[in-house]
Amino acid sequence: MKDEQAVQGGKEAPERQDQPRKQGEGKDKNKGWIRWWGLGVFVLLTAALAASWFLFLDLFVKRLIEQTGTRIVGAKVELTSADVSLFPLGLTLARLQVTNPDEPMTNVVEIGRIACTVDGLNLLRRKVIIEEMALEGLKLGTPRQTSGAVARQPEKGTLTKPANTISLPSFEVPDVKTIMASADLESVKLVESLRADVQSEQESWKKRLADLPDKAKLNEYKSRLERLKSSAKGGVAGILGATGEVAAIQKDLERDLANLQSAKTDFETRLASLKQRMDQAVKAPQEDVRRLREKYSLSPQGLANMSGMLLKGQGGERVRKALVWYGKIQPFLARAKEQRKGHEAVKPVRGKGLDVRFAEQAPLPDFLIRLAKVSAQLEAGDVTGRIENITPDQDVLGKPLTFVFSGEKLSGLSSVRLDGSLNHVAPASAKDTVQLRLRGYQVQGVVLSESADWPVTMEKALADLDLQASVSGQALAGTMTAGLKSARLTVGKQESSNQLAKAVGSALSAVSTFTVKADVTGTLDQYEVHLTSDLDRVLKEAAGKLVQDYADRITKELEAAVMAKVGGPLSELKGSFSGLGGVGDELAARLAQGAGSPKGSPEKLLPGGFKLPF
Amino acid sequence: MLKLLANLLRVLNSESNPGQISLAFCLAMVAGLTPFWSLHNLLVLLLVLLIRVNLSAFLVVLMFFSGVAYLLDPLFHRIGLAVLTADSLEGLWTNFYHSTLWRIERFNNTIVMGSLSFSLVVFIPLYLLLNLGIIRYRAHVLAWVERTRLMQILKASRFYSLYQSVSGWGVGL
Repeated sequence: MKDEQAVQGGKEAPERQDQPRKQGEGKDKNKGWIRWWGLGVFVLLTAALAASWFLFLDLFVKRLIEQTGTRIVGAKVELTSADVSLFPLGLTLARLQVTNPDEPMTNVVEIGRIACTVDGLNLLRRKVIIEEMALEGLKLGTPRQTSGAVARQPEKGTLTKPANTISLPSFEVPDVKTIMASADLESVKLVESLRADVQSEQESWKKRLADLPDKAKLNEYKSRLERLKSSAKGGVAGILGATGEVAAIQKDLERDLANLQSAKTDFETRLASLKQRMDQAVKAPQEDVRRLREKYSLSPQGLANMSGMLLKGQGGERVRKALVWYGKIQPFLARAKEQRKGHEAVKPVRGKGLDVRFAEQAPLPDFLIRLAKVSAQLEAGDVTGRIENITPDQDVLGKPLTFVFSGEKLSGLSSVRLDGSLNHVAPASAKDTVQLRLRGYQVQGVVLSESADWPVTMEKALADLDLQASVSGQALAGTMTAGLKSARLTVGKQESSNQLAKAVGSALSAVSTFTVKADVTGTLDQYEVHLTSDLDRVLKEAAGKLVQDYADRITKELEAAVMAKVGGPLSELKGSFSGLGGVGDELAARLAQGAGSPKGSPEKLLPGGFKLPF
Repeated sequence: MLKLLANLLRVLNSESNPGQISLAFCLAMVAGLTPFWSLHNLLVLLLVLLIRVNLSAFLVVLMFFSGVAYLLDPLFHRIGLAVLTADSLEGLWTNFYHSTLWRIERFNNTIVMGSLSFSLVVFIPLYLLLNLGIIRYRAHVLAWVERTRLMQILKASRFYSLYQSVSGWGVGL
């Protein structure tokens, strides 16, 4: 060390101040390039590094799991301890708690012990390969002593939670006067518009009739021919002159008749168009009544999908929760990969740069749990399960993730089986499927509607449920059928004065057996839950008559109110329209008169029926 | 910062062999520019301790290049990607990919490969340039700098006191 300080020009070399620099340099050169004590320091440093790594490895692994888990879940993930063993290389985790992000005082899952052995050689190659993992003492929905909430930004694409209130048909009778005050009646507009058009048409035809040849003019043709007959002179010249005049009169007559015929055709076309509008105007008040009735939900069909509305809140919320958790596991099913000049490049979850992959003789994913055996201790009893091929690189492994969980003779449940696969072997055509089969599930205290006006609770029921769901790319499809027996539904506010509400409530209370079918369609971001149930039939039978009577009464009141507004203008319109009929009659009369005038060749019209010699 | 600069000047003005200082610079560049916890940096550490390079220079330059590395990461990524995806080298990288040692080295990461390639390419030219630079600095610049007006001002400053405290030279630069 002393040598080193001297070489570097430390303070203990005062002679350098007085001696030429070259002397110092010569002395330095004599020392040579190797310092053997450095090797010892290197060994010591490396050993110290390895020792501290081993000492803090457990803590490091614990922190890593907690931080990564918390980031993914969006709520605290905590671990009591992590123990890494070197021979054989393995990991044991004690009490893993995953907070429910929606309920920070509850763990969505808690696992008592997780134990696994890791393939050491592959770990050196940066591949975490776990042949078998045991998850023991898995519990769902356990309470927490401290809040597991973390401050976080709202996640992009998080599905918003719908309010658990439903909008049942209003059973309040709306006031007809109020409806009419704000109603915009199409019939009034139509009648007014048509009345104006009819009046305009009347004016127009009045002028046109004046321009057309009238009866006097047509009579004049007859008179002129008569005069010509009586004044006909003898001789060839006289006969030729009379023939020319007759031809001229005939030509004028034919032109006038053609004008009259054209006007009649035009009139008939316009009249047909107006008549069509007239028919619409006559029907318009009824159409207004129908529209207003529908607008204020007064049809008996309003009860047709009441069960859908009742159950949609619960069903929709479960679908939403399932999709939120499905979104969280997506990064573990397929990592972001891109092709760079034919090589696959994998972006590390946290880190810089890209890891480029090259062809392997026996390709293995970077992370793989071949088999995870799960032993869950649920409130209902023990459920066991197996999850196979957990990896974010299914395309490398060539196998999908599969899972199956089952339990028998549980508390409040005869049997349950959940199985499915998350297939991302071909990322472009990824398909995830899940099937759930529940038998003898005792439903208790499920709130179907939190509406203040219509609180509905399923106090108890025995359900058999089958569910199939699949996600292909972004497309979501699912079907659920549930048969409920021994059901007891309670509807709050039984003291309601509304007869209809009472009838529906009473009908629901009497229901003991019904089935529900739910179809989920759409995409992961925008999906529709369509629920149908034979509850609708029960409700329709119970309250349909009341609704129909009510609808009939309100229809009559609306008809009266609409006609009070439209009736006057409509009568006037009818009067004006019938006035147009006079125009048609006049045109027909003139045409008939014109047709009665003498016709034939001019020679025949002359006295004696004289024939020209040429 | 002043202390770091003073340290650097002390090393440059010391009687250390210019080659030892240059080598310290170059090894520090490799360790500083590449991700610190890489296998090759264990070799760099061994070389730094075993070969008589200037440790002060190594530490000062290591800090400098560690900072610079963050700015150069995009460049290293591009270099690494180009090297790793070069058709002519595919066979070599595929062999390395099957080797546990090279996988520990994480050679297939674009930033590791980019920064290491850059450091190794620059290593020898930088070593030669620094050697030449230090010799010329000591022969010409040192005496000239001492005579400049700026140096006279500096001599009266806190920086100079600091420099004196670490160098032990009464005559200054």
